[in-house]
Amino acid sequence: MTRQSSVAVDVKGSPSPLAGLARSARIIVCCGSGGVGKTSTAAAVAVWAAAAGRRTCVLTIDPARRLAQALGLDLLANAPRPVKGKGLPTGGPGSLDAMMLDMRRTFDEVIERYARDEEQVDRILANRFYQRLSSTLAGTQEYMAMEKLYELHESHRYDLLVVDTPPTRSALDFLDAPDNLNELLDARAFRLLIAPAQRIGRGYLRGLNLATTAMTKMVRRVTGSELLAEVGEFFAAFEGMYDGFKERAGLVYDQLKHPSTAFVVVATPDGAALHEAAFFAGRLAADRMPLGALVVNRIHRAGPVPQVPQAARRRLAAGADGRLLADLLELHDGLEALAAAEQRRVRELLVSVPSLGVVQVPLLADDVHDLPGLRRLGEHLFA
Amino acid sequence: MLDALDQVRLLLVTGKGGTGKTTVAASLAVAAGLRGRRTLVAEVEGRQGLAGLFGRRSLDHREARVAERVNALAIDPDESLREYLARYGFAPLARLLTWAHLNRFITAAAPGLGDVLLVGKVWEAATRQARDSQEAYDLVVLDAPPTGRVVPFLRAPQTVAELARVGPIRHQADRVRDLLDNPERTAVVLTCLPEELPVTETLEGVVSLRAAGLPVAAVVANRVTGDRLGGRAGRLAALAKDPAPLRAAAAAAGVELDGPALGTLLGEARDRQRQVARERRMLKELRAGLDRLPMVELPFLADGAGSPEQIRILADRLAPAEPEVRPRGRARRAAVGGAGG
Repeated sequence: MTRQSSVAVDVKGSPSPLAGLARSARIIVCCGSGGVGKTSTAAAVAVWAAAAGRRTCVLTIDPARRLAQALGLDLLANAPRPVKGKGLPTGGPGSLDAMMLDMRRTFDEVIERYARDEEQVDRILANRFYQRLSSTLAGTQEYMAMEKLYELHESHRYDLLVVDTPPTRSALDFLDAPDNLNELLDARAFRLLIAPAQRIGRGYLRGLNLATTAMTKMVRRVTGSELLAEVGEFFAAFEGMYDGFKERAGLVYDQLKHPSTAFVVVATPDGAALHEAAFFAGRLAADRMPLGALVVNRIHRAGPVPQVPQAARRRLAAGADGRLLADLLELHDGLEALAAAEQRRVRELLVSVPSLGVVQVPLLADDVHDLPGLRRLGEHLFA
Repeated sequence: MLDALDQVRLLLVTGKGGTGKTTVAASLAVAAGLRGRRTLVAEVEGRQGLAGLFGRRSLDHREARVAERVNALAIDPDESLREYLARYGFAPLARLLTWAHLNRFITAAAPGLGDVLLVGKVWEAATRQARDSQEAYDLVVLDAPPTGRVVPFLRAPQTVAELARVGPIRHQADRVRDLLDNPERTAVVLTCLPEELPVTETLEGVVSLRAAGLPVAAVVANRVTGDRLGGRAGRLAALAKDPAPLRAAAAAAGVELDGPALGTLLGEARDRQRQVARERRMLKELRAGLDRLPMVELPFLADGAGSPEQIRILADRLAPAEPEVRPRGRARRAAVGGAGG
């Protein structure tokens, strides 16, 4: 599949909106709150796309151990590895690779790649502020996921990249991540804060100048001076790399907006998860990101059973099997009510995003933790 | 019943994402309120998860009454920074920061500073003495970040204090630590689901919280499917093979259900039994891993757990209200819906 042909995402006539996406999108980003089956959904989409003949790579952040094993994921590699197992394409056009993101390693690699020389690399990697920035700062993980995504995208090794976003405080932080990190890395802004008075200039800037001097004092007093020194050293070491970061963040953002990208929002029919999904869909729409589909996992369904009036149920209390049947009916009522409540909640969500294609996946009997499990999940996703 | 609910000043609720952390935090707060404690429930992740549970559109940095003896609050770092600066006599600077839109930069430039401010605010509320302008609380319940992030979050003051060896941050960090590490004043509650991944992550979470010296008090197993058919699994299996006795029982009672309908009922019941059995297995594993740490189960509610009424049901499960306000059989029965009691 060539790069050009993948732009149009046509889902008409295909029963699942995911089928069209998995056939033609270049990037699928799965987002949703934690615990909704995002990682397995991403992996199942990738397995299906590989079987459909595409060179596919699934990029995941924090997979469950058994699923990671099934995918042959190895954190130490921080690079895609082929997934081996029954039912995966061998020798055909399609293939499946998987990788697990190591945020710190990715950040280090970015520094190594874009630094002037060894000395700059060493200075940055040894800096305590950098160490904290690269491993704990909220937003860095999202940014690094996007950085890795862009790197893989540019390598042209794959027809399709499926990304599983990290389950963060707001799982859409990655949309802000380039901005946040840029704001942070904009050494100019920081210099403004720590600059001696004379560097700032004259005239209308004088007010700001006064403010920043006061702020410098405050930061010193509140944090002690070591923090400032570390931060200052970091920005000194980072000199010259800032523009590259800014430029790539822009490129990543543009790629995410491109019509060959599709965002898939994953949820469960639980109120909180759907609430988050609505927030996601709204946020993506506001940023004009290409919204592909909504996947709702773990849907309950009740079979067809005629209504049995209460009077008739009371007569069932006679024997053990009768009482059992009465309990079965009550369980069925509960299941029906649950299924109806779930459908109502999904419909309510769709009011806010009317055009979004929905894929509902029934509650599966077992946790998905191996390739056959992913294929079974795929059958529901692409039914 | 969680003893900690009556004893500590600060309850920290954490858990794997999607296990109902916010719901449990809200329910614990309501339960404490019903038991007579003046309670504040706070969230720190800017998700507005608490608001809906109390039937409100949103919450902000102002403490708002949401239930009997319960106030709620959404703590945000910007507002906390302003408060913090004001407390240390930098109020004019706080106004200047706002004017120059520099708050975000400050919290972004010092990694962890945002967390320091959030934790600082929680500490302030938990140790506050009543003043004209603000209420004091017997208990603060925090909807804390998920297990993967909670230790760095709670230890952010220490982390930053290591960089700042002197000054108010260092001083405050020590006082925050005194509160957090004291099992008589603070209790950590982890939420879990009766599923494989949450159980694994909960057990790992207990280990890492304890390793960090934080007082883990209990685990709440959330959304547990009720076992209505307990002890009759064998009979169900037999009837699935030969439903004739069931058909006979239906006919005897004049209940009109044909073969396929009975088949559907049996199929649904057996699916549910499998679910119950799977959950039991998971809970057994959880209990074994927890050693003697208390564990409380909350029922799966068919209508979800997104409204004040449902929070009240869960609160009643977590802790019965004080005897004089006790009789609430109605609310309890309502829980049975899809769960069974």
